Amino acid sequence: MSVASEERAGTGGADVPSRESPLRSVTALFSGPAGRNLGLVIALALLCIVGMITAGDRFVSFDNMMTILRLASVIGVVSVGMTFVITGGGIDLSVGAIVALSSVWASTIATQTLAENTHWIVMVSTALLVGAVCGLVNGLLIAYGRMAAFIVTLAMLAGARGLAEIIAQKRTQVVTISEFIDVVGGRVLGIPVLVLIFAIVAVAGWILLNRTTFGRRTLAVGGNPEAARLAGINVKRHTTLLYVLVGVACGLAAVMLLARTTAGTSTHGMLMELDAIAAVVIGGTLLSGGRGTIVGTVFGVLIFTTLTNVFTLNNLDTSTQAVAKGVIIVVAVLLQQRVAARNGSPP
Amino acid sequence: MSEPILELHGLNKSFGPVHVLHDVDLKVRAGEVTALVGDNGAGKSTLVKCIAGIHASDSGEVRFQGEPVHIRGPKDAAELGIEVVYQDLALADNLDIVQNMFLGRERGSGWLLDEASMEQAARQTLASLSVRTVKSVRTPVSSLSGGQRQTVAIAKSVLWDSKVVLLDEPTAALGVAQTRQVLDLVRRLAEQGLGVVLISHNMADVFEVSDRVAVLYLGRLAAEVNTKEVTHGQVVELITAGRSGDLGLARPDTATV
Repeated sequence: MSVASEERAGTGGADVPSRESPLRSVTALFSGPAGRNLGLVIALALLCIVGMITAGDRFVSFDNMMTILRLASVIGVVSVGMTFVITGGGIDLSVGAIVALSSVWASTIATQTLAENTHWIVMVSTALLVGAVCGLVNGLLIAYGRMAAFIVTLAMLAGARGLAEIIAQKRTQVVTISEFIDVVGGRVLGIPVLVLIFAIVAVAGWILLNRTTFGRRTLAVGGNPEAARLAGINVKRHTTLLYVLVGVACGLAAVMLLARTTAGTSTHGMLMELDAIAAVVIGGTLLSGGRGTIVGTVFGVLIFTTLTNVFTLNNLDTSTQAVAKGVIIVVAVLLQQRVAARNGSPP
Repeated sequence: MSEPILELHGLNKSFGPVHVLHDVDLKVRAGEVTALVGDNGAGKSTLVKCIAGIHASDSGEVRFQGEPVHIRGPKDAAELGIEVVYQDLALADNLDIVQNMFLGRERGSGWLLDEASMEQAARQTLASLSVRTVKSVRTPVSSLSGGQRQTVAIAKSVLWDSKVVLLDEPTAALGVAQTRQVLDLVRRLAEQGLGVVLISHNMADVFEVSDRVAVLYLGRLAAEVNTKEVTHGQVVELITAGRSGDLGLARPDTATV
């Protein structure tokens, strides 16, 4: 009962039979649809406990919680998009570069002047459009050009960041439109707008993946593209759309970064692709495609950002953080493999 | 004898220099099982894929219910009511039975899926085919046995109010009991009034369930006969030599089709 019934747990689709021995039911608890997320909840809870013990009130405060969520929001939006691409059997290494290019393009003097004369929404739509076009190029080359996703997006990683440097002339472009920063970087009912955007994207992503034709077909394309094709699904178009989707997510992330840092630069989103892929994979999405979980991805993102926060509060340097991240990724994937083997899905 | 529901006239198909199908004529009648037999490479699977719209035929006419039709893709075939159960099953392992049966034609309002309605329809279809081997329609396909997978693939093909079902070697990888179940299922499809085309290598299966046998020999239709009027030996001869007594192709040197 792994696979696709996974997210249906909440609707009572999968009732775990309770006639097993206590030990087995404990493992069943972890291996079941809800269980995979339970493991993530426990990991996050452990991190929080460590944070509380080592940093005390500085960690528990509302402000610190919002700091964590604000940090999580940008990478979170990208990771939700990445979940779709990976579930559909692809990979996108260019997300960080697309974020940089979108942020730079949306904050050029030309765009900002236009935005000043009209509305700051121009900046937002520029970023989204740049992201979508980059994703479209990726998708077309992969689906219709029959190139490996790894190579195409690697080329985009180099190309988009290079183009961002050219446009920005390697300078930081300050966002001068205060209205934009006030709105996107502001708060609604005490909650940062960035966090709200992340929440909306996560919920929309969950619905899209689990409750719509698009999501169902994404699973099919990632699981068995040949079967999907024979069932009459336009696999190439669908694959292209997945890359456009992650491109738009990158554009949105660029908007959020512009508001958070009040500047656009070609160094935005450095190594973001690795953070996003790591969050998606420790969340339980299968790197080979065919299984994906938005809830897991959100937890993956929260685990990494909480880790960063706890380390920062304890004045530990980023190198130690990197080592800890590496260890977490390996442990998470090892655990997942164990769980998958115990679930024993026959070939 | 009823009018054929699906008729092929002079179908040709080449892959580059290889001429795989030569002027193939074939008639499929509703309520009958037509067995399509032939040696490896005779063109059986290619013929099925041409009918299903996976391959475009080079020339020839396809008539469906008497009307000439052009099938350009799997969607066109599906809209006419032609369904194919492929040799390799074409099921997505990571999806459950309901999800597989509705793949590509999901039910729902707008974008949202209607799981309850799909689940119910899947159950009804399985019940109408007297399938009892599948416990839950929410079982992932990866955990099903070969026979169960075949059953799901066949049930998927009849879910669509389909009129013609093409089965590409449905029993090839199955054990004795499972073959039994699948053959029963094939017979039931015909009894429900569908036109069934069964590709098989197994003569016992062919003689057990089919009403007519069509033999392909090196891309040509060697013979199309009533199953009752021929013997095992004759069919085997048709498969291996293209002719048997009065039946089959004229001698190769005089063959002008």
